[in-house]
Amino acid sequence: MGDRDDAVASPRTPLALRLTDVHIEYELFAERRAALRDRFASRAGDGRRVVRAVNGVSFDVYEGESVGMLGSNGSGKSTLLAAIAGLLAPVAGEILVSAEPKLMGVGATLIPAASGYRNIRLGCLALGMSPDAIEEQFDEIAAFTELGDALERPLRTFSSGMRARLHFAIATAMTPRILLIDEALAVGDKGFKAKSAARISDMLADAGTLLLVSHSMAELQSHCKRGIWIDKGIVRMDGPINEVVAAYSAEG
Amino acid sequence: MLTPDDADFNEAAELFSLDAHIPTRDYLDQMWDRRAFAMAMPLEEVRSTHQDTLLGNVWHLANPLLSVAVYYLVFGVFLNANRGVDNYVLWLMVGVFTFGLTTRSVVAGASTMTANVGLMRSMRFPRALLPISTVFGRLLTFGFELVVIAVVAVLTGQGLSRRVLVLPIIIVVHTALNLGLAFIAARLNDTFRDVQQLIPFLFRLLMYVSGVMIPIGTFLDKEGVSPLLLRVVTLNPMVSIINLYRWVFLDESINVTNTLEMLGLVTVTLVFGFGFFRARELKYGRS
Repeated sequence: MGDRDDAVASPRTPLALRLTDVHIEYELFAERRAALRDRFASRAGDGRRVVRAVNGVSFDVYEGESVGMLGSNGSGKSTLLAAIAGLLAPVAGEILVSAEPKLMGVGATLIPAASGYRNIRLGCLALGMSPDAIEEQFDEIAAFTELGDALERPLRTFSSGMRARLHFAIATAMTPRILLIDEALAVGDKGFKAKSAARISDMLADAGTLLLVSHSMAELQSHCKRGIWIDKGIVRMDGPINEVVAAYSAEG
Repeated sequence: MLTPDDADFNEAAELFSLDAHIPTRDYLDQMWDRRAFAMAMPLEEVRSTHQDTLLGNVWHLANPLLSVAVYYLVFGVFLNANRGVDNYVLWLMVGVFTFGLTTRSVVAGASTMTANVGLMRSMRFPRALLPISTVFGRLLTFGFELVVIAVVAVLTGQGLSRRVLVLPIIIVVHTALNLGLAFIAARLNDTFRDVQQLIPFLFRLLMYVSGVMIPIGTFLDKEGVSPLLLRVVTLNPMVSIINLYRWVFLDESINVTNTLEMLGLVTVTLVFGFGFFRARELKYGRS
């Protein structure tokens, strides 16, 4: 572990995350494999249809750091984020966290048939908030979404931007120590981006930690100080965000 | 206070792994912390299940009542299978409703992991809460069914005895069995989606050998029944559970040995089901 500590910029702050040689496998054609027929077919044929999405990633993140993760589609960024959130397990390696991270993803459907209000309530309960705390903060959370009466409609009628607002409000209701955002800011409008930016800087000022996956270089540069470029499941580059963005952009 | 000179400084904030298999005690603690979620989910589910149909929530009760009517016509009127049963309508109703609770719990338990993929992809919580909440959700409608049974008991002159005070204990045992089976079905269906299609047929078969419509004795009291078959039938926990409900409402006699065996089987099913379900904890919602 000694050489790791030499490599980091500021060993004075405590660690928020430590990834050690993380490997994550991913099952291809997930829907089809789920059928019994395919299970037998794949046994008899070309073996399991599994790809390595993340292939030996190691890095440390300190409290108060804001890290932007970039890379082409399918490079393994989102998979890695889901694993850090504890939503899927690596097949090898270790992910250590100082607090339970909250993930905010763009595809979050939560409970499609339930109204926006009920999704706020159920989402906060699922995250472990007490009913009293929810009651106390409910109006604030609902107001943060700025969705107004639309919150009475079932979630399945929401646009992706509306869903992002709702999910962001739920995910940050408890002020997470570690916040993971998977491209969810990009779908919001200008007002939402400003509000979420303000909430993110509050969190960072309070020694919170941010990992942001985005394809918008401007977004990464405005939120993050450090950049990690993930390419084909490994860390291609790790350094100040501007340098990483420049190198990534130069490639094409 | 730690200073930067301390060798252990980086370990000051204790790091832990989220994918380590956490001890059962901690897992149960996490579940207990989120008990409000397990209670709120079924209410939401019950609300939304029939929201697209004309009669809405009336179907929660109309559905089992229509089943009783159909079975009464077929078995009571056409087949005359009600030999030896005084109050066949009530007897049938108790059987259909209680067996139906198990069927619906397991069917819903099987689909809950696939139905809540969106929730699981965005939030981390003990996954066992999902089958638990579906089983609790089925209990809500069962409460109404018990009221219907009580009303029918009074209307048919059977009346209600003090034995109804034991009902909560019977429901706890029955729920433990439903939970254990729902856990198993949830995990199996998450691996093989086909399970969801097979369960209704399994339960239809099980219903005929659980004494729901025809008294078990009708085909067991005959000469030449193999002792093995007799053993298998009496080991079926549903037979003993339905028997307990009928003891409450119809004063049917209880076989103590079979009941104790049932309690053992229910415990085994629940403990095994929970462990079996948890072994896949981090894969739900992903494959």
